[in-house]
Amino acid sequence: MRNWYNNLDFLSILLWATLAGVGLVAIYSTTHGPAAELLLSGVRRNFDRQLVWLAVSGAVLIVALLLPVRFYQVSAFPIYIGTILLLIAVLLFGREINGAKSWLMFGPIQLQVSEMAKVGTVLGVAQLVGIRRPKSMGIQFALLVVAMILLPALLILLQNDAGTALVFFALIPIALFWSGLELDLLMIMIAPALAAYLAIVYRPGAIAFAVLFTAFMYLRTRDRKLTSLAGLFSGGTVLVASLALTRILQPYQIARILSFTDPGALQYRDNAGFHQVQSMAAIGSGSWFGKGFMQGTQTQGNYVPEQSTDFVFSVIGEEFGFFGSLFVMLLFLGLLVRLTVLGSRMKHPFGVMIASGAVGVYLIHIFINVGMATAILPVIGIPLPLLSYGGSALLANTALMAIVLSLYMRRDELSIYGY
Amino acid sequence: MEENRTRTRIFVILICAVLGILTLRLGKIQILDTSTYTGESRNNAIRERRILPARGAFYDRNGVLMVDNELAYTVLVTPRYFDEANISFLATLLNLPDSLVANRYQEARNWNSFRPSWIERGVSFDVLSRVMENHHLLPGVSYEVDQKRLYMTSARAAHALGFIRQISRSDLKTRRAEGYRPGDLIGQTGLERNYERRIRGSLGSEFNLVNSRGQVIESYLNEAEDIAPISGFNLELTLDSEVQALAESLFVNKRGAVVALEPSTGEIITFLSAPDYDLETFTRAVSPEAWRFLRESEEKPLFNRASMSMLPPGSTFKPFIALLALESGVITPSSTVTCPGYHPIGQGRIFKCMHVHGTIAVQQAIRESCNTFFFEMMRRIDVNTFSRFANRFGFGERSEVDIGEQDAGLIPDSAYFNRVNPGGWTVGTPMNLGIGQGDMGVTPLQLARYIAALGNGGVLPTPHLLRRAYHPDTGEIVYPDIPEPVNLDLNPRFMEIVRNALREVVEETSPWLQIPNVSSAGKTGTVQNSRGDDDAVYVLFAPFDNPRIAIAVMVENAGFGSMSAGPIASFLAEKYLTGTISPTRNWLFQQVLDTASGPLPSGDETSTRDASP
Repeated sequence: MRNWYNNLDFLSILLWATLAGVGLVAIYSTTHGPAAELLLSGVRRNFDRQLVWLAVSGAVLIVALLLPVRFYQVSAFPIYIGTILLLIAVLLFGREINGAKSWLMFGPIQLQVSEMAKVGTVLGVAQLVGIRRPKSMGIQFALLVVAMILLPALLILLQNDAGTALVFFALIPIALFWSGLELDLLMIMIAPALAAYLAIVYRPGAIAFAVLFTAFMYLRTRDRKLTSLAGLFSGGTVLVASLALTRILQPYQIARILSFTDPGALQYRDNAGFHQVQSMAAIGSGSWFGKGFMQGTQTQGNYVPEQSTDFVFSVIGEEFGFFGSLFVMLLFLGLLVRLTVLGSRMKHPFGVMIASGAVGVYLIHIFINVGMATAILPVIGIPLPLLSYGGSALLANTALMAIVLSLYMRRDELSIYGY
Repeated sequence: MEENRTRTRIFVILICAVLGILTLRLGKIQILDTSTYTGESRNNAIRERRILPARGAFYDRNGVLMVDNELAYTVLVTPRYFDEANISFLATLLNLPDSLVANRYQEARNWNSFRPSWIERGVSFDVLSRVMENHHLLPGVSYEVDQKRLYMTSARAAHALGFIRQISRSDLKTRRAEGYRPGDLIGQTGLERNYERRIRGSLGSEFNLVNSRGQVIESYLNEAEDIAPISGFNLELTLDSEVQALAESLFVNKRGAVVALEPSTGEIITFLSAPDYDLETFTRAVSPEAWRFLRESEEKPLFNRASMSMLPPGSTFKPFIALLALESGVITPSSTVTCPGYHPIGQGRIFKCMHVHGTIAVQQAIRESCNTFFFEMMRRIDVNTFSRFANRFGFGERSEVDIGEQDAGLIPDSAYFNRVNPGGWTVGTPMNLGIGQGDMGVTPLQLARYIAALGNGGVLPTPHLLRRAYHPDTGEIVYPDIPEPVNLDLNPRFMEIVRNALREVVEETSPWLQIPNVSSAGKTGTVQNSRGDDDAVYVLFAPFDNPRIAIAVMVENAGFGSMSAGPIASFLAEKYLTGTISPTRNWLFQQVLDTASGPLPSGDETSTRDASP
């Protein structure tokens, strides 16, 4: 056995620190620019607070690296249950901010419990898969995994935080994928999401997709049951989505969903499409090299709502241009691929599931967040991992990576508790 | 574990695909479509503030500053960024009632939520400083430097100078391309309107970065794109502010008009329409009561009598008829007409004379103002010859000058009489024209021009108010496009007879018209009208040999021309020529001051009295 620090993956830590650093730069620009004195005093302290949270996260990273593998395995279920209890506590005693009742107050510290729940859920699911008897993957086990993710998701929905709940729903296919569900079934699960997206963007495309997907499934499996499931899921989704957009939903709900397809349209630009119009103006006007640090007119003028939290990417896009955006994308690519590779090297379902869970959480956040900022997705208020202002999210995302690194560092110990 | 490796590979591909899609999307927005979004962000954040140039100042003919500017500040609100809860705070800072600010805020919101609209104009620097100190608490509040006209002399010259007011909706439509925006001030009357383009100057711009609440963050590109305003041209006028002021004081309690010209050039020395109004009124928001009074008063203060009122010239037209008769050959200087106190046509009932003049020739007829003689002239002269000759003197036409508001007047010809007399007309019909009565009308401006031409010996000048415009910064000088005086090619012998007759009017018939130590020539007129007492008219030029001033004075409803209009004209000429009023005439001066225009009729009363000297 080599020294522990030889097994520590410094590359991941470097990527993590760089991303957090970019986030701090972006937040600094929103709080210390030329118009800083015109900001609300609460907003002006964002940078300092984020700095404190980053220090806390660093401490958590170190502590997580010191903890043994056994600790994670033993405490996985208790932590999961603990976060479920916290989610219930939020529903009872939580504080409402921006319409979502997601925060618990510990003295001066506000904690967004749904962020912590991501860590708890990833741990819980990983442990569930880890203690499973080999080759016992069946539909029942899959349903158990789904239930474990759905429980916190539903509690978060009750908090009126649909965006975060959506992250949990999207985590389901990823968890099933790594716990060994057949790819065909997985595809049938994912198809409705694509069909619904196409139904919003371009309905003929959605219908074509449903037909082609069903045909593809038949050609691939020659299995009538799977083929009819594929047809039912994809076609049904197109039908339901179309009906919802024309008959079922209220006009304001439809506007919120449809506005991203053309946020600048006259009927949207001052209401449902406002965030995206401003965000696109910021990112698009950045061009190749950006307007320069603290030089972005959109950023400094505070035009993009939530520009230090959910729309932090607009700051990077405007002030650092396409190269800045590309740099962040490459950092994410490096971190995600690296963590996936670390996970696959662990050769133990617990480690694999933790790594893939962390990567899954990151990937879903990145896709939805940047997709929202660039208007290929509707506005769904979730933060960009490691970059957005917000202590709970930074802490949770750091913790996820820290656990992966900690397990990877001691991956030889894992097999002791293996199959 | 082969299975695990495949899944890892699929998962890495998924990561690359997701990040790849996002990167492609970013490339499209940031590289392909960047110009669209750059435009959008510019529109958002870069706010142009207009800097008003200094409006041109006005100087009188002696270089006396008449109209200048004073800085004033306008406080603006952009409703989109303004918090309604701040209304009473803003009202307190501005010392205005809450309800007024609330009303104006509502109006601004109805007009355009995204554009700054004014809340209060004419704000002093102190008050503005108080507002701007609290700028950070008042998002959506901004200010503009504005100008207010400042009138420097006791002469008001309201109708000549004109006033500026907020641009009207209809003007805004046609002149938007020139850079006018709602609330901008624009010349509405007089010189302010006529030379608007010259004196306005060109707007400057200052570009600032503003935040989403409309608050200025910093200047854009360090002012590299800012444009400095260019001042307007200053105007050097032909008015004499002292003579103008004298005319205004002499017209206290009177209605009427004065136009005084320099005969050789046509430069207007005095241009008065009474009653007038204080231009100062229009430098502030005009109260509805003041505006209603100005618009609806029976005395019509806004009406420019000097160039808009059309009245028969009465006996002041007799020199013209005399010239016409001599020039057209219906009489010679020695031809005589016998006056039995009336003209025989109409059995003497219609065409009366004031006296029995006996047998008289033309020079005496002018001096004595014999109606019979001039009735007879018009009996002999074709009405179209009359109208052509009148047109040569500028009657019946507008003149090409910088006085925008003009009435052409009325000079009848045969076509006119055919039209208004469907039952046919006789030789008697145009005869009234001989004494400047009947179906004709001239403006005081036209009368002044005509008497100036007589003073010049038959050279008709073009009246104008602007001598030249010069730019305060560049020194560039622009002269107005004034036509040269027109020589009417009249027989000098005939002209001499008429001029001598006019001198005799002053020297032999009326001591009230004489100017101490200055020889002058003039003609009175008393004009019947439908408004009440007769209007008094007097035309004059002086000095006789080389006239430097020609004046037409009209006083409404003031009786004989020699008793009010005449002395007024003589005082103005005296003031202009000698710089002072001789103390020997103080009694007359006092008497003129005490004379008032007769009351306006209550409506049904119409005068039918006959014409007279």
